Amino acid sequence: MPQNSKGIDVAAIIPDRCIGCQICAGECPVGAIEMSGGVAHIDPEVCIGCGKCFEVCPVEAVSFEPKRPQETPQRIPGVPEDRFSEYRGVAVFIEVTHGQAAPVSWELAGKARELSRRLGTVAIALIAGHELKDVATEALEYGCDEVHVIDDALLGSYLSRLYGKAVTDLTNTVKPEILLMGATALGRDLASVVATNVETGLTADCTGLDIDEEKRLLLMTRPAFGGNIMATIFCENHRPQMSTVRPGVFRPGERKAGRTGAVHHYPFAPPVGEMPEILEFVRDNTGETGLDIGRFPALVVVGKGACDPESMPMIQELADLIGGVVACSRPVVEAGLMPYERQVGQTGKTVAPKLYFAIGVSGAVQHLVGMQGSRRIVAINSDPHAPIFGISDTGLIGDYRDVVPLVIKGLREAVSKR
Amino acid sequence: MNFVCCIKQVPDTAEVKIDPETNTLMRSGVESISNPYDLVALETALILRDKYGGWVTALSMGPPQAEQVLKEAISLGADAAVLLSDRAFAGADTLATSYTLYKAIRNLDLDRPVDIVLCGKQAIDGDTAQVGPGIATRLGFTQFTSVVEIRELNTYDRHITVKRRVEGGFEIVRGPLPTVITVDLGLARPRRASLPGLILSLRAVIDRWDADAVGAEVPKIGLKGSPTWVRRIFSPPLKEGGPVFDGRKDPVPAVERFLDTIVADEELISELFKNPGV
Repeated sequence: MPQNSKGIDVAAIIPDRCIGCQICAGECPVGAIEMSGGVAHIDPEVCIGCGKCFEVCPVEAVSFEPKRPQETPQRIPGVPEDRFSEYRGVAVFIEVTHGQAAPVSWELAGKARELSRRLGTVAIALIAGHELKDVATEALEYGCDEVHVIDDALLGSYLSRLYGKAVTDLTNTVKPEILLMGATALGRDLASVVATNVETGLTADCTGLDIDEEKRLLLMTRPAFGGNIMATIFCENHRPQMSTVRPGVFRPGERKAGRTGAVHHYPFAPPVGEMPEILEFVRDNTGETGLDIGRFPALVVVGKGACDPESMPMIQELADLIGGVVACSRPVVEAGLMPYERQVGQTGKTVAPKLYFAIGVSGAVQHLVGMQGSRRIVAINSDPHAPIFGISDTGLIGDYRDVVPLVIKGLREAVSKR
Repeated sequence: MNFVCCIKQVPDTAEVKIDPETNTLMRSGVESISNPYDLVALETALILRDKYGGWVTALSMGPPQAEQVLKEAISLGADAAVLLSDRAFAGADTLATSYTLYKAIRNLDLDRPVDIVLCGKQAIDGDTAQVGPGIATRLGFTQFTSVVEIRELNTYDRHITVKRRVEGGFEIVRGPLPTVITVDLGLARPRRASLPGLILSLRAVIDRWDADAVGAEVPKIGLKGSPTWVRRIFSPPLKEGGPVFDGRKDPVPAVERFLDTIVADEELISELFKNPGV
């Protein structure tokens, strides 16, 4: 164990193992860690031997001898255990567009019910919008125990400050201990505004939620560093604990007609000042707007090399055969060959179909993070060294124009024999 | 028009790859780069400045070595650059980060009123997309996220019209200045630095502000000001690659064996082909 001139047992980086993720540099309370040459370096004279870098390193690249086994932090004396006693319930913001709730809202309603039961509390729906029709009733049917609504003509379409004010007001009135929103374009915009207004922690784009029942903590797991690393995050000293959650991660709550609960309505106190005005809505260029590739049990995903107009009927035939739709990797969207809503990957949609059929997709890491949860991954690629083969359950090397017709024929025969 | 552009130094996550042999992270060194989304924001600011006149200040929060991204901003044409650097800023989550940047922008605003703040839609290391809206909310500026096009900037009646990505398409929206805009990658293609720009950036003095300089309250910055904490970090479970059949020379038997492995998954097949007749 190396010591510095002050006699402190200091930590050191094992350069061969360091992946340069900088997590330790961010965690170091004294700024002893700097990056150089792509790896971390610890200045032994600055290091205080706290071991934080050792604890957070995802690849065990820090050599350090912890002095004692890690213990759970002591409760701060004088701070009562029930300092958050005024906060109650697991709330979900129900995202409503044109009177229709986003599917992710019902996925989260189901999750909120489950989490609320583990905490011995209630599931709450927060709704803001206009012409909300039966959304409140639906929220009850999907598992919420109570519903809080602001319905106002000013909330006809989404504007950050208007919705931000409405949902901040609802949050301050209802005081849920947990608040979940869908990680949609709207949800991520809104959640940031609300979390800033109520000054609490917000964890973006989560793919897993769990509960530490004893401490009543929401444990939020999300990918970081382009999906190369997963992080579990919590928010101990602020309420509500807020998170946006990726669509498609959880199953929708079971809908039971006849479930009832209290529905509270509140007047809207709009913010002052001039608001923006939405001039026009432009549908995505295919006219298939709203297509959610995350909802299909099978996807045929094409890379740029396999996306020529002549082959599209063949690709579509395969997709029809396996009961799925055609999706694509990012270069295809960048080349303008398919709309953004079909894109899988870090900057597109995260999907987890039962069958993921990749054709001409090389498998860049940014793509892999968006599909590695798929149940079965099969890949066709002409390059035997394509990274996609490192993650696929079955691979086929060959020119897609030669092999895809054979695959379609063979698959048809195999199915017809059943 | 006075523009402020927020730039984050990030590890080049694209360089962290999965080793196809071992299915583990390749442990090669990873370089630090300017967040690609932020470079699009900077390019947008430079284009608007060149068209309407004004001043572009690049702003970054980070360790001393983050000065590099600001030198790059100068080389590309930013008029000034400020680095927010203080050990007390370290460990900041998005709430503490947006607070610190907000305080700095307020500082710049006293000097010369800020009209448009531009940020990348998200950073490629954290992908949170939370800092831009956080700054807008604190400043009380009009907020436009995921902007793909600037349609019109009217400097007389002080309004801006943008096209932004929303679920299922795009919306054209017009709102008053001052504003915070977060940009999508498609908005502009970052230019390359010119030789005079590079020489200028080498000589440029980057202003450095600490917590005192921006008047930040200590409980709201860095680790102390961050409500979210990391409990655990782990590598995502990686799948092992399965068999790969070579159909380059003789596709028929390879396709057959390839299909056999798929069809062997009875459960999958029965789920996908529930309806006979497809």
